[in-house]
Amino acid sequence: MVWADLAFVVTALVYLAASAAFGIYLVGGPRAQSTLFATTAPFLLGLGACMHAAHIGVTSFALRVCPVESVHFSMSVLAVFVAATYLFVRRRFQLNALGAVVAPFALTFLLASRFAFSRLGETANPVRRVLLPFHIAANVLGIALFTLAFAAAVTYLFQERQLKRKEFGGLFRRLPPLEALDRAEHQLLLAGFPLLTLGILTGTVWARGIELGDSASIARAIFGYASWALFAAVLLARAAAGWRGRRAAYGIVAGYSFTLVVILIYLLRPAVT
Amino acid sequence: MMLVVGLSHRTAPIDVRERFAVAEERLGEFSKMVHALDGVSEAFVVSTCNRFEVYAVAKNGAESPESAIIEAIAAWSKQPASTVRRLVYAHVDRDALLHLFRVTASLDSLVVGEPQILGQVKAAFECASIAGTLGPHLLRSVPRAFAAAKRVRTETTIGAGNVSISSVAVDLAEQIFGDLSQCEALLVGAGEMAEAAARSFGKRTLALRVCNRSFDRGAALARAIGAGVAPWESLAHELATADVVIASTSATEFIITHDMVKKAIHARRGRSLFFIDIAVPRNVDPKVHKIDNVYVFNVDDLENQVQVAQERRKIAHEEASHIVDDELAAHEHWSLALGVQPTLVALRDGARAIFRSELERTLATRLKHLGSEERAALEQMLDSGVSKWLHRPTVALKAAAVRGEGQALVEATETLFELSTDACTEPSQPSQPSHDDDTVRH
Repeated sequence: MVWADLAFVVTALVYLAASAAFGIYLVGGPRAQSTLFATTAPFLLGLGACMHAAHIGVTSFALRVCPVESVHFSMSVLAVFVAATYLFVRRRFQLNALGAVVAPFALTFLLASRFAFSRLGETANPVRRVLLPFHIAANVLGIALFTLAFAAAVTYLFQERQLKRKEFGGLFRRLPPLEALDRAEHQLLLAGFPLLTLGILTGTVWARGIELGDSASIARAIFGYASWALFAAVLLARAAAGWRGRRAAYGIVAGYSFTLVVILIYLLRPAVT
Repeated sequence: MMLVVGLSHRTAPIDVRERFAVAEERLGEFSKMVHALDGVSEAFVVSTCNRFEVYAVAKNGAESPESAIIEAIAAWSKQPASTVRRLVYAHVDRDALLHLFRVTASLDSLVVGEPQILGQVKAAFECASIAGTLGPHLLRSVPRAFAAAKRVRTETTIGAGNVSISSVAVDLAEQIFGDLSQCEALLVGAGEMAEAAARSFGKRTLALRVCNRSFDRGAALARAIGAGVAPWESLAHELATADVVIASTSATEFIITHDMVKKAIHARRGRSLFFIDIAVPRNVDPKVHKIDNVYVFNVDDLENQVQVAQERRKIAHEEASHIVDDELAAHEHWSLALGVQPTLVALRDGARAIFRSELERTLATRLKHLGSEERAALEQMLDSGVSKWLHRPTVALKAAAVRGEGQALVEATETLFELSTDACTEPSQPSQPSHDDDTVRH
């Protein structure tokens, strides 16, 4: 486990360096906008994500645990997916500046995974045992996409507020254009929604028969369904009534807030079969 | 001795400057004409809409060619020499060099920090290079001025922000839509102000249409700027398709109302709509700005942004001036150190010649049994020894030159070692000083 610990520390340091590089890129002077930081920061994040994935692989092999069958590994996998998805879509949607949110997010979840409860409850039911990895993998992938959509939505609201007030701070010209953010929010939501739906369905089947006497389980289910309903409403309103921009951004922020509550419940109290 | 003779937006209005303008394809020809003057060894000419300047280097020992250059300018521009003399300024030696550095760094521009001037000076320098009017002095100084200008642009915010209403409008549109090449623009009205703004957008957008109350006038403007034309009656419909709307009619009431835009945004299914209202009185109802995904910027809003950018550039100006001063000082140190170069070359060549002669004699007699590899090793050892032995005197001579005490040391060295530097003049293609050249920068 020495190698796993070493990989964890180095990954954390690389994520930290990536966060600093993105921060300098965003708030630094014209020199910080130069090619050096614009290329170094995503490279560091990519390196961190690779090392993070290697750390998960090594640790899960050593502990003989499937990465998507425990809460702390799931948190870790989520961070890797968020970083990877960002690196994949950043050029397409001109989202380079969002790395300043993604890199600290990856670092936070890497550290959080270290201190979360380690295992989900065991289940003897073979159907549920098969469903569990699908449930967690779908949710993790979906949440990774929603995390980026949330970051784009918050940035959209920040930019839109400056335009409406006609008062522009130093970050205004360094953040992505409004339409690019809006397009990114929508497409990430579209990609994440089927995964969340699969997660909700498998979760519902998996949870059948479990007595929801536990208040945390009840809260988790309620917030999970609420976030699904909110994301569905945002997509539906955009398709049917052309709701985009600020309204869509608020919807995404609200939906993701519910998702975060579910994650927090998982982190603070593991699922019980 | 370097000098610059010219006029700029600071000293002459446009009707005067345009009399002296030289087309880029004739810059080389005029440079040659100046280069051919008595007392001039090097020359290049810069001509932009805001300045006309002749940079020249006087021959060693010759009198200042200022008068000859003024007469050349008068002959070229077909103006009386007395008029030219009254209009132009002249800077000599360090002042001329400082002027060149400030011009290329855009510190002397009408719009401080504008990026075009560096390219214009580079183009003029290239013309002179092709014309063969450059020499060691300008080949050293001008590239150094380019390097200083590049440093100013990368290390300060001198070029940040936009300082014209049109560029601010384009910048805001890009912050809303990103790539404007997929956007459509609509020009409402056919006034002069609208035309200037429309030209800025016309180059960047997918399509530009002109919608004017008088269709014929709108069509004439559309032809002039390469845009399409839309009838006045279709204005409401046009709002549903255009992404950027530039309003500049002389109407005294709002021609684009809240209800009109509300319907348009519904038809657009919420896609953003950006209004640039440069009309006074305003054409777009200010309440329109409150509609979701709609942004209205009037003349005051745009001018506020221009002022903010100008304030930022003022702050950066001081910082940029320090960089220019630093670069100029470094260049002067390097140039001074270059003055001892002929002595250093003669010293090195002399030492090497003596040692080589001794080595050859020994190789021909006592060491004649050595093979080619051993001989090559001995020669390499000798060269290396000469370089190491001369390192301290080299550093000391260059340092003395930078302190302005080089001449005495040069004379002493030449006397002690019986050196002759007649054949050694300034190198014709000197390498540019690097920032880590610590032997010449103190």
